[in-house]
Amino acid sequence: MKRIMIDETKCDGCRNCELACMQAHRSTPGSIYDLDLTSRENESRNHIVSLQDGSYRPIFCRHCDQPECVMSCMSGALKKDPDTGLVLYDGEKCGSCFMCVMNCPYGVLRPDRTRTRVLKCDFCTSAGTEPSCVGACPRQAIYLEEVIG
Amino acid sequence: MNQCYGCNTCKSADKPLEAFIKTLPMETSHHRVDSQKTKCGFGLQGVCCRLCANGPCRITPNSPRGICGANADTIVTRNFLRAVASGSGCYIHVVENTALNLKKTAQKKGELKGLNALQRLADIFEIRTEDVYEKAEQVADAVLRDLYKPEYEKMELTEKVAYGPRVKRWKELGIMPGGAKSEVFQGVVKCSTNLNSDPADMLTDCLRLGVSTGVYGLTLTNLLNDVLLGEPELRMAPVGLRVIDPDYINIMITGHQHTIFVDLQERLVSPEAEAKAKAAGAKGFKLVGCTCVGQDLQLRGSHYTEVFDGHAGNNYTSEAILATGAIDAVLSEFNCTLPGIEPICDELKIKQICLDSVAKKANAEMMKFDFDHREEQSKAIIDKIVDAYKERRGSVSLNLMPEHGNDHSLTGVSEVSLKNFLGGSWQPLIDLIVSGDIKGVAGVVGCSNLTAGGHDVLSVELTKELIAKDIIVLTAGCSSGGIENCGLMTPEAAKFAGPKLRAVCEKLGIPPVLNFGPCLAIGRLEIVATELAAALNVDLPQLPLVLSAAQWLEEQALADGCFGLALGLPLHLGLPPFVTGSKVAVKVLTEDMKELTGGQVIINSDAKETADILEKIIMEKRGGLNI
Repeated sequence: MKRIMIDETKCDGCRNCELACMQAHRSTPGSIYDLDLTSRENESRNHIVSLQDGSYRPIFCRHCDQPECVMSCMSGALKKDPDTGLVLYDGEKCGSCFMCVMNCPYGVLRPDRTRTRVLKCDFCTSAGTEPSCVGACPRQAIYLEEVIG
Repeated sequence: MNQCYGCNTCKSADKPLEAFIKTLPMETSHHRVDSQKTKCGFGLQGVCCRLCANGPCRITPNSPRGICGANADTIVTRNFLRAVASGSGCYIHVVENTALNLKKTAQKKGELKGLNALQRLADIFEIRTEDVYEKAEQVADAVLRDLYKPEYEKMELTEKVAYGPRVKRWKELGIMPGGAKSEVFQGVVKCSTNLNSDPADMLTDCLRLGVSTGVYGLTLTNLLNDVLLGEPELRMAPVGLRVIDPDYINIMITGHQHTIFVDLQERLVSPEAEAKAKAAGAKGFKLVGCTCVGQDLQLRGSHYTEVFDGHAGNNYTSEAILATGAIDAVLSEFNCTLPGIEPICDELKIKQICLDSVAKKANAEMMKFDFDHREEQSKAIIDKIVDAYKERRGSVSLNLMPEHGNDHSLTGVSEVSLKNFLGGSWQPLIDLIVSGDIKGVAGVVGCSNLTAGGHDVLSVELTKELIAKDIIVLTAGCSSGGIENCGLMTPEAAKFAGPKLRAVCEKLGIPPVLNFGPCLAIGRLEIVATELAAALNVDLPQLPLVLSAAQWLEEQALADGCFGLALGLPLHLGLPPFVTGSKVAVKVLTEDMKELTGGQVIINSDAKETADILEKIIMEKRGGLNI
C-alpha cells in the first residue's frame, strides 16, 4: 500500500496541493479554472502551515497505523480499512463530537463550514485517482511511497 | 550533434516539425512544456496579487480577501487591466515607430512603395495636399499627434477610421480613447496598489484601450506599412523550413516592425553586398521569415522576391529554424523573440543583433535603428553577418528540413487585394454568404502557444472544424504561420472544407483559409468586416462573423481581444485569460458584454465544441439578418 510522504524542507507554501484537493472533491463538474475559490463548500482537506522561521509545514493525513481519530470516534464514522490501511470517514455516521479533531496528533482534521462534518482526506478514492495533491506539488515536497501494511 | 536532447517534447499540429524537434540535440521551448506542467491554480484564476509588500495574497475559502481587503473581483480585474495596458503599449510602440519612419522617409523624399495606400489614408484623414511627400508627412504627423495627446483629449482619427455605428456606441459607453500613449499610462496607474478597486470601471478601461490599440496599433499600422513597404498582392509562396537555402547567408528576422528593415532589405540585394557574400563563399543574402515581421514580409513578398526566401514558421518554430544550422544571424526588433533562442544561437555561433532596445536580448549586440544613419548601419550589419557566416559555416553542421511545409500557400491577402480579386466589390462574397455557400466568416487570429493542446494544435483543429462547416477562415498572426505550414492555405486544402465552401474554393482556385499575415492584420480583418457591414447597412455585431484567438499567448493578444470586444464581435479563447477567479469579470466578459458592445468572450479548449458554439452564433446572426 502507498502513503503520502512529506519532505517539509522542499515545501515553498504555494498551496497547489490545497487547490488540487479542493478540485478533486468539488461537488460540481468543471476545471481548475472555474473552481470557486471563495466558496466554503470547496474547503481543502489538507493545508499548509507557515512557521515563524519562514518555513512551511504541509499538514496531511498520515492514515496512521494507530489512528487516534479512529480510536476516539464513538459513532463509527472513522474506520481503518484492513485491506488498504486507509483511514476513511463516513459523514453519514458522524455525530459531530469532533473528538477526532481534538485527538489528531498532526492537526490535520478540522470541522467543515457547517460544523457538522469533518474535513478528512480519502486518498482521492472518491475521485478515483492517485492523491491529487501529490500530482500538483511542483517541488515534490509530498510524494507517494510504498509501505508495508 | 546527433544525440537527441530529450524526447519529452510537446505535441505540434505540424507532425514533421514535432518529429524534428524531438530529435534535436538542444533544448527548446517544446522540451520545457513538460517540466513546467504543474501550474499555480491561483495564477491560472488570476487571484494572486503581488502589488504590495503585504503580498502575495491569494484567495481561498478561508481568505476571501487580500490583506488590503481586495476581493477576487478587484484582484482579477486589476491584473487584467495591467496586462491589457501592457499589451496596448506594445502595439502603440509599433505604430509610433512606423509613423516616425514614414515621416522621416517623407522628409528625406525616400521611396514610398504604396501610393494608393497613401491616398487612401489622406482621404480618410481629409488631407488635401498634392505633393506625395508632404502628404505622407502630414499623414504620419496626424497619427503621431493623436498618439501623443493627453488622456483627457480625445484622439481625432478614431472617428475617421472606425465604423460610424461603432463610434456612436463607443461614445455612448464612454470608451472613446484619449491619446493612446496616455491611455496606457492611465491604465497602469489605475491598477497600481490601493488605487482603483472597481471591477466595472477597470473593465471599461480595458475596452477603451482595446479601441486605441485596434484603431491605431493594428489598423493604422498596416496602412502606414503599406505606404512605405508596398501593398500586399495575391501570390503563391513557399512556407516552412524548406524556404531556408543553405547556399545563402541567411538572416532570420523576428518582431513586428517591418519599416525598420526598409533600408537593409534594399542593401542586402545590392551588387556591393552580393560581392561581399560571394567573397565569403555564399551566393548572396536571404531573409528568412519568422514571427509576425516575417508574415508581414511574406504578405508584401511580391515587392521583395529577390531578398525574401519565404516564411519559415511562427514564434514557437523559431528554435527549430535556428537548429537547422543554416541561419547565420537573427535580427530582432520586437517580440516574439523568445529568450530560449539565446543558448541555441550561442551554440550554433549565430550572430544576434537587436534593432530596438525594447526587445534587447541578453546576448545580442544592440544596434538601435537610427533612421538618419540607416545606410551606414545597414552596411555595418551586413559586415557583422558576413563575419559570422565565415566563422560558423563549415564548423556547424546542417540539419535541414527541405521537405517541410509546402511550396504554394496563398499569401498577400488584404482588404484591398481580396476585394480586387472579387472584381472590385464585396458583392460576390456577400452573395455567397447570403446564399449560404459560405455560412459565415471566422477570424482565427493571434498567437501560437504550447499549452492549448500543444503547438498550434487547437488553432489548426478548430480551423479544420470551421471550414468543414462551410465557414471561411481568415487568419492574422502566428496562427497563420502554423496553419499555413500544415497546408491549409494551399488550394488543395479545399478538400477539407464542407461541400459548399469546397465548391466555392475550387471554382475560384483559392484555399478555404485566407492568410492576412501578421497579428497587426487583425486590423485588416476589421476593415473587411466594416466594409461588409457598410455594404449591408448594418452594424458589426450583426454580421455572421466570429473571432477566435484560440492560442492567444501574450498581453498584446489581450489588448487585441479587447478591440474585438469593442467591435462587438464574439471572441473565442482556448485558455482563460487569468480572470476566472472573478465572478464579476466572467459575467461581464461572457454575458453582459452582449448588451454593452454586442461582443462576448467564449472560453473553450475543445476544437469540436468550439466550432459548434461558433457555428450556432453564426446561425443566430444569419437569422437576425433574415438570411
